[in-house]
Amino acid sequence: MSTELLNVVDLDAKLQQQSPQEILQYAIDQFGLLALSFSGAEDIVLIDMAHKIDPNIEVFCLDTGRLHAETYQFIEQVRKHYNIDIDVLSPNGEAVRNLVQQKGLYSFLEDNHQECCGIRKITPLRNKLLEVDAWITGQRKDQSPGTRASIPVIQDDKAFARPGETLTKFNPLANWSSQQVWDYIRYNDIPYNSLHDQGYVSIGCEPCTRPIGPNQHEREGRWWWEEATKKECGLHSTNIDK
Amino acid sequence: MTITLVKKILADGSPCKKCADVISKLEQANQMQYIDKVIVADERDSNSEGILLAAQLKVNRAPFFVVEHDNREPVVYTVYFKFVKEILDGKTSEAEEIQEIMNDNPDLDYI
Repeated sequence: MSTELLNVVDLDAKLQQQSPQEILQYAIDQFGLLALSFSGAEDIVLIDMAHKIDPNIEVFCLDTGRLHAETYQFIEQVRKHYNIDIDVLSPNGEAVRNLVQQKGLYSFLEDNHQECCGIRKITPLRNKLLEVDAWITGQRKDQSPGTRASIPVIQDDKAFARPGETLTKFNPLANWSSQQVWDYIRYNDIPYNSLHDQGYVSIGCEPCTRPIGPNQHEREGRWWWEEATKKECGLHSTNIDK
Repeated sequence: MTITLVKKILADGSPCKKCADVISKLEQANQMQYIDKVIVADERDSNSEGILLAAQLKVNRAPFFVVEHDNREPVVYTVYFKFVKEILDGKTSEAEEIQEIMNDNPDLDYI
Protein backbone atom coordinates (compact mmCIF):
# COMPACT_ATOMS: atom_id res chain seq x y z
CA MET A 1 0.00 0.00 0.00
CA SER A 2 1.30 3.44 -0.81
CA THR A 3 1.82 5.42 2.33
CA GLU A 4 0.87 8.52 0.40
CA LEU A 5 -2.70 7.28 0.39
CA LEU A 6 -2.90 7.20 4.16
CA ASN A 7 -4.98 9.86 5.79
CA VAL A 8 -3.37 9.53 9.18
CA VAL A 9 -5.66 11.95 10.97
CA ASP A 10 -8.80 10.06 10.03
CA LEU A 11 -7.08 6.76 10.67
CA ASP A 12 -5.95 7.95 14.06
CA ALA A 13 -9.51 8.69 15.08
CA LYS A 14 -10.42 5.13 14.15
CA LEU A 15 -7.36 3.42 15.65
CA GLN A 16 -7.68 5.37 18.91
CA GLN A 17 -10.61 3.10 19.70
CA GLN A 18 -8.69 -0.10 19.06
CA SER A 19 -6.50 -2.29 21.20
CA PRO A 20 -2.69 -2.28 20.87
CA GLN A 21 -2.93 -5.72 19.27
CA GLU A 22 -5.39 -4.48 16.66
CA ILE A 23 -3.19 -1.48 15.93
CA LEU A 24 -0.16 -3.73 15.53
CA GLN A 25 -2.14 -6.02 13.26
CA TYR A 26 -3.06 -3.05 11.10
CA ALA A 27 0.55 -1.84 10.92
CA ILE A 28 1.90 -5.27 10.05
CA ASP A 29 -0.78 -5.79 7.40
CA GLN A 30 -0.17 -2.44 5.76
CA PHE A 31 3.60 -2.14 5.77
CA GLY A 32 6.27 -4.55 4.60
CA LEU A 33 9.16 -2.30 5.57
CA LEU A 34 8.23 -1.98 9.21
CA ALA A 35 10.42 -1.99 12.32
CA LEU A 36 9.68 -2.00 16.03
CA SER A 37 11.77 0.15 18.35
CA PHE A 38 12.60 -1.60 21.62
CA SER A 39 14.14 0.35 24.50
CA GLY A 40 14.91 -2.59 26.73
CA ALA A 41 12.20 -1.67 29.21
CA GLU A 42 8.46 -2.19 29.56
CA ASP A 43 7.91 -1.83 25.82
CA ILE A 44 8.66 -5.55 25.86
CA VAL A 45 4.88 -5.89 25.70
CA LEU A 46 5.00 -4.68 22.10
CA ILE A 47 7.46 -7.38 21.13
CA ASP A 48 5.27 -9.97 22.80
CA MET A 49 2.16 -8.74 21.00
CA ALA A 50 3.82 -8.26 17.62
CA HIS A 51 5.63 -11.58 17.78
CA LYS A 52 2.30 -13.36 18.16
CA ILE A 53 1.10 -11.69 14.96
CA ASP A 54 4.33 -11.93 12.97
CA PRO A 55 7.22 -13.95 14.41
CA ASN A 56 9.51 -12.29 11.88
CA ILE A 57 8.77 -8.75 13.00
CA GLU A 58 11.87 -6.59 12.68
CA VAL A 59 13.07 -5.23 16.03
CA PHE A 60 15.79 -2.70 16.65
CA CYS A 61 17.33 -1.28 19.77
CA LEU A 62 19.33 1.91 20.31
CA ASP A 63 22.47 1.02 22.21
CA THR A 64 23.76 4.35 23.43
CA GLY A 65 26.80 2.78 25.03
CA ARG A 66 25.61 4.04 28.43
CA LEU A 67 22.85 1.56 29.25
CA HIS A 68 22.72 -0.39 32.49
CA ALA A 69 24.28 -3.86 32.51
CA GLU A 70 20.81 -5.15 33.42
CA THR A 71 19.40 -3.64 30.23
CA TYR A 72 22.01 -5.31 28.04
CA GLN A 73 21.30 -8.59 29.80
CA PHE A 74 17.59 -8.09 29.26
CA ILE A 75 18.00 -7.38 25.54
CA GLU A 76 19.90 -10.64 25.24
CA GLN A 77 17.25 -12.44 27.25
CA VAL A 78 14.56 -11.13 24.91
CA ARG A 79 16.52 -12.19 21.86
CA LYS A 80 16.66 -15.75 23.15
CA HIS A 81 13.17 -15.89 24.65
CA TYR A 82 11.48 -14.95 21.37
CA ASN A 83 14.18 -16.36 19.10
CA ILE A 84 14.30 -13.10 17.18
CA ASP A 85 17.00 -10.97 15.64
CA ILE A 86 17.40 -7.62 17.33
CA ASP A 87 19.25 -4.99 15.35
CA VAL A 88 21.33 -3.30 18.06
CA LEU A 89 22.34 0.11 16.73
CA SER A 90 25.46 1.90 17.94
CA PRO A 91 26.22 5.61 17.73
CA ASN A 92 28.83 6.98 15.38
CA GLY A 93 32.14 6.42 17.13
CA GLU A 94 33.75 9.57 15.80
CA ALA A 95 30.85 11.72 16.98
CA VAL A 96 30.97 10.21 20.46
CA ARG A 97 34.73 10.65 20.57
CA ASN A 98 34.47 14.31 19.64
CA LEU A 99 31.79 14.95 22.24
CA VAL A 100 33.76 13.26 24.99
CA GLN A 101 37.00 14.96 24.02
CA GLN A 102 35.37 18.38 23.98
CA LYS A 103 32.99 18.10 26.92
CA GLY A 104 33.85 15.00 28.88
CA LEU A 105 31.76 11.97 29.78
CA TYR A 106 29.06 13.82 31.72
CA SER A 107 28.39 16.91 29.62
CA PHE A 108 24.64 16.39 30.03
CA LEU A 109 24.90 17.34 33.70
CA GLU A 110 26.18 20.79 32.79
CA ASP A 111 24.37 21.46 29.50
CA ASN A 112 21.31 19.29 29.05
CA HIS A 113 20.73 15.79 27.82
CA GLN A 114 19.89 16.73 24.26
CA GLU A 115 23.35 16.91 22.72
CA CYS A 116 24.37 13.56 24.13
CA CYS A 117 21.00 11.96 23.27
CA GLY A 118 21.26 13.47 19.80
CA ILE A 119 24.55 11.74 19.12
CA ARG A 120 23.98 8.49 20.96
CA LYS A 121 20.31 7.91 20.23
CA ILE A 122 18.56 10.17 17.76
CA THR A 123 21.15 10.16 14.96
CA PRO A 124 21.32 6.34 14.88
CA LEU A 125 17.53 6.29 15.04
CA ARG A 126 17.27 8.60 12.06
CA ASN A 127 19.70 6.49 10.06
CA LYS A 128 17.72 3.37 10.87
CA LEU A 129 14.43 4.95 9.88
CA LEU A 130 15.77 5.71 6.41
CA GLU A 131 15.44 1.95 5.81
CA VAL A 132 11.73 1.62 6.59
CA ASP A 133 8.31 2.93 5.60
CA ALA A 134 6.84 2.66 9.08
CA TRP A 135 7.97 2.19 12.65
CA ILE A 136 6.44 1.27 15.97
CA THR A 137 7.23 2.74 19.38
CA GLY A 138 6.11 2.08 22.93
CA GLN A 139 5.39 5.74 23.66
CA ARG A 140 2.46 6.42 25.95
CA LYS A 141 0.55 9.54 26.85
CA ASP A 142 1.01 8.95 30.56
CA GLN A 143 4.80 9.11 30.26
CA SER A 144 4.75 12.87 29.92
CA PRO A 145 3.52 15.11 32.72
CA GLY A 146 2.79 17.95 30.31
CA THR A 147 -0.86 18.70 29.76
CA ARG A 148 -0.15 19.38 26.09
CA ALA A 149 1.10 15.87 25.54
CA SER A 150 -1.04 14.15 22.95
CA ILE A 151 0.55 11.21 21.30
CA PRO A 152 -1.52 9.89 18.41
CA VAL A 153 -1.78 6.20 17.69
CA ILE A 154 -0.68 6.76 14.10
CA GLN A 155 1.12 9.78 12.75
CA ASP A 156 2.84 11.07 9.67
CA ASP A 157 6.45 11.30 10.81
CA LYS A 158 7.73 14.29 8.89
CA ALA A 159 10.92 14.61 10.94
CA PHE A 160 12.44 11.29 9.95
CA ALA A 161 10.93 10.63 6.53
CA ARG A 162 13.23 10.08 3.57
CA PRO A 163 13.38 13.10 1.25
CA GLY A 164 10.24 13.23 -0.85
CA GLU A 165 8.69 10.21 0.84
CA THR A 166 6.53 9.47 3.83
CA LEU A 167 7.18 7.62 7.06
CA THR A 168 4.37 6.41 9.28
CA LYS A 169 4.80 6.09 13.03
CA PHE A 170 2.62 3.88 15.20
CA ASN A 171 2.28 4.28 18.96
CA PRO A 172 0.04 1.31 19.84
CA LEU A 173 0.41 1.88 23.60
CA ALA A 174 -0.45 5.58 23.43
CA ASN A 175 -3.67 5.11 25.37
CA TRP A 176 -2.45 2.48 27.77
CA SER A 177 -1.45 3.33 31.31
CA SER A 178 1.61 1.99 33.08
CA GLN A 179 -0.80 -0.16 35.09
CA GLN A 180 -2.18 -1.78 31.94
CA VAL A 181 1.32 -2.45 30.65
CA TRP A 182 2.27 -4.18 33.89
CA ASP A 183 -0.97 -6.12 34.06
CA TYR A 184 -0.12 -7.45 30.60
CA ILE A 185 3.44 -8.34 31.60
CA ARG A 186 2.31 -10.21 34.70
CA TYR A 187 -0.72 -11.88 33.17
CA ASN A 188 1.31 -13.19 30.24
CA ASP A 189 4.35 -13.94 32.39
CA ILE A 190 6.76 -12.34 29.95
CA PRO A 191 10.33 -11.36 30.83
CA TYR A 192 11.07 -7.83 32.03
CA ASN A 193 14.10 -5.73 32.90
CA SER A 194 15.23 -6.55 36.44
CA LEU A 195 15.79 -2.84 37.10
CA HIS A 196 12.04 -2.53 37.50
CA ASP A 197 12.31 -4.62 40.68
CA GLN A 198 14.78 -2.04 42.03
CA GLY A 199 12.41 0.90 41.76
CA TYR A 200 13.19 2.02 38.23
CA VAL A 201 10.05 2.88 36.29
CA SER A 202 11.29 4.63 33.15
CA ILE A 203 14.61 3.21 32.01
CA GLY A 204 17.12 4.97 29.80
CA CYS A 205 20.87 5.45 30.06
CA GLU A 206 22.54 4.62 33.38
CA PRO A 207 23.73 8.13 34.28
CA CYS A 208 20.36 9.69 33.43
CA THR A 209 18.03 7.21 35.11
CA ARG A 210 17.26 6.72 38.78
CA PRO A 211 14.68 4.85 40.82
CA ILE A 212 11.70 6.84 42.01
CA GLY A 213 9.65 6.77 45.17
CA PRO A 214 5.93 6.37 45.80
CA ASN A 215 3.73 8.85 43.94
CA GLN A 216 6.58 10.32 41.95
CA HIS A 217 5.94 10.63 38.25
CA GLU A 218 8.17 8.42 36.14
CA ARG A 219 9.56 11.53 34.44
CA GLU A 220 11.21 12.33 37.79
CA GLY A 221 13.42 9.34 37.27
CA ARG A 222 14.93 10.79 34.11
CA TRP A 223 17.09 13.96 33.77
CA TRP A 224 15.90 15.10 37.19
CA TRP A 225 18.43 17.92 37.30
CA GLU A 226 16.80 19.67 34.36
CA GLU A 227 13.83 21.94 34.59
CA ALA A 228 10.93 21.11 32.36
CA THR A 229 11.01 23.46 29.39
CA LYS A 230 7.95 24.74 27.66
CA LYS A 231 7.35 23.45 24.19
CA GLU A 232 5.46 26.01 22.21
CA CYS A 233 5.67 24.69 18.68
CA GLY A 234 2.32 22.92 18.67
CA LEU A 235 -0.69 24.54 17.13
CA HIS A 236 -3.57 24.50 19.57
CA SER A 237 -5.63 21.50 18.63
CA THR A 238 -8.99 23.10 19.25
CA ASN A 239 -8.20 25.62 16.57
CA ILE A 240 -6.96 23.00 14.15
CA ASP A 241 -10.02 20.86 14.59
CA LYS A 242 -12.39 23.66 13.72
CA MET B 1 7.63 26.04 -7.33
CA THR B 2 5.87 28.08 -4.67
CA ILE B 3 7.03 28.18 -1.07
CA THR B 4 4.81 29.34 1.77
CA LEU B 5 6.01 29.89 5.31
CA VAL B 6 3.40 29.65 8.04
CA LYS B 7 4.30 31.41 11.25
CA LYS B 8 2.33 31.41 14.44
CA ILE B 9 0.90 33.88 16.93
CA LEU B 10 0.24 32.30 20.30
CA ALA B 11 -3.11 32.36 22.06
CA ASP B 12 -1.91 35.18 24.32
CA GLY B 13 -1.06 37.33 21.29
CA SER B 14 2.68 36.95 21.58
CA PRO B 15 4.75 35.91 18.59
CA CYS B 16 6.09 32.38 18.36
CA LYS B 17 9.72 32.39 19.41
CA LYS B 18 10.77 29.61 17.09
CA CYS B 19 9.06 31.30 14.13
CA ALA B 20 11.09 34.44 14.78
CA ASP B 21 14.21 32.36 15.05
CA VAL B 22 13.52 30.60 11.75
CA ILE B 23 12.83 33.86 9.95
CA SER B 24 16.00 35.34 11.38
CA LYS B 25 18.00 32.37 10.11
CA LEU B 26 16.44 32.70 6.65
CA GLU B 27 17.27 36.38 6.57
CA GLN B 28 20.85 35.88 7.71
CA ALA B 29 21.36 33.28 4.99
CA ASN B 30 19.71 35.56 2.44
CA GLN B 31 17.09 32.88 1.83
CA MET B 32 13.92 34.87 2.46
CA GLN B 33 14.01 35.66 -1.26
CA TYR B 34 12.92 32.08 -1.91
CA ILE B 35 9.85 32.36 0.30
CA ASP B 36 6.94 33.43 -1.88
CA LYS B 37 4.44 33.98 0.87
CA VAL B 38 4.38 34.28 4.66
CA ILE B 39 1.03 33.70 6.32
CA VAL B 40 -0.04 33.72 9.94
CA ALA B 41 -1.57 30.97 12.01
CA ASP B 42 -3.17 32.98 14.77
CA GLU B 43 -4.26 30.77 17.64
CA ARG B 44 -6.81 33.41 18.64
CA ASP B 45 -8.55 33.19 15.29
CA SER B 46 -9.65 29.78 14.03
CA ASN B 47 -10.28 31.32 10.61
CA SER B 48 -6.84 32.80 10.17
CA GLU B 49 -5.21 31.76 6.94
CA GLY B 50 -2.44 29.77 8.60
CA ILE B 51 -4.79 27.88 10.90
CA LEU B 52 -6.99 26.93 7.96
CA LEU B 53 -4.00 25.81 5.92
CA ALA B 54 -2.67 23.77 8.83
CA ALA B 55 -6.04 22.07 9.18
CA GLN B 56 -6.21 21.41 5.45
CA LEU B 57 -2.72 19.91 5.38
CA LYS B 58 -3.16 18.21 8.75
CA VAL B 59 -0.18 19.91 10.32
CA ASN B 60 -0.17 20.35 14.08
CA ARG B 61 2.83 22.59 14.65
CA ALA B 62 4.33 25.82 13.42
CA PRO B 63 6.37 27.20 11.87
CA PHE B 64 6.10 25.04 8.80
CA PHE B 65 6.80 25.35 5.10
CA VAL B 66 4.57 24.30 2.23
CA VAL B 67 6.29 23.58 -1.07
CA GLU B 68 4.03 23.38 -4.10
CA HIS B 69 4.91 22.24 -7.59
CA ASP B 70 2.52 22.29 -10.53
CA ASN B 71 0.14 19.32 -10.52
CA ARG B 72 1.76 17.76 -7.48
CA GLU B 73 0.63 17.34 -3.93
CA PRO B 74 2.06 20.04 -1.64
CA VAL B 75 4.93 18.89 0.53
CA VAL B 76 5.04 20.05 4.14
CA TYR B 77 8.22 20.60 6.11
CA THR B 78 8.02 21.07 9.85
CA VAL B 79 11.78 20.81 10.35
CA TYR B 80 13.52 23.99 9.25
CA PHE B 81 16.92 22.42 8.64
CA LYS B 82 15.39 19.62 6.60
CA PHE B 83 13.59 22.19 4.47
CA VAL B 84 16.77 24.18 3.93
CA LYS B 85 18.74 21.11 2.96
CA GLU B 86 16.18 19.51 0.67
CA ILE B 87 14.58 22.53 -0.96
CA LEU B 88 17.04 25.39 -0.76
CA ASP B 89 20.09 23.18 -1.21
CA GLY B 90 21.55 24.82 1.81
CA LYS B 91 24.32 23.56 4.00
CA THR B 92 23.10 22.34 7.36
CA SER B 93 24.89 20.34 9.98
CA GLU B 94 23.55 17.05 11.25
CA ALA B 95 23.82 18.36 14.80
CA GLU B 96 21.58 21.34 13.95
CA GLU B 97 18.97 19.11 12.38
CA ILE B 98 18.98 16.66 15.27
CA GLN B 99 18.77 19.48 17.82
CA GLU B 100 15.72 20.93 16.08
CA ILE B 101 14.03 17.55 15.85
CA MET B 102 14.57 16.95 19.55
CA ASN B 103 13.35 20.39 20.53
CA ASP B 104 10.18 19.90 18.54
CA ASN B 105 9.56 16.32 19.59
CA PRO B 106 10.13 15.97 23.33
CA ASP B 107 8.35 12.62 23.20
CA LEU B 108 11.53 11.22 21.61
CA ASP B 109 13.01 11.21 25.11
CA TYR B 110 11.17 7.96 25.67
CA ILE B 111 12.29 6.10 22.57
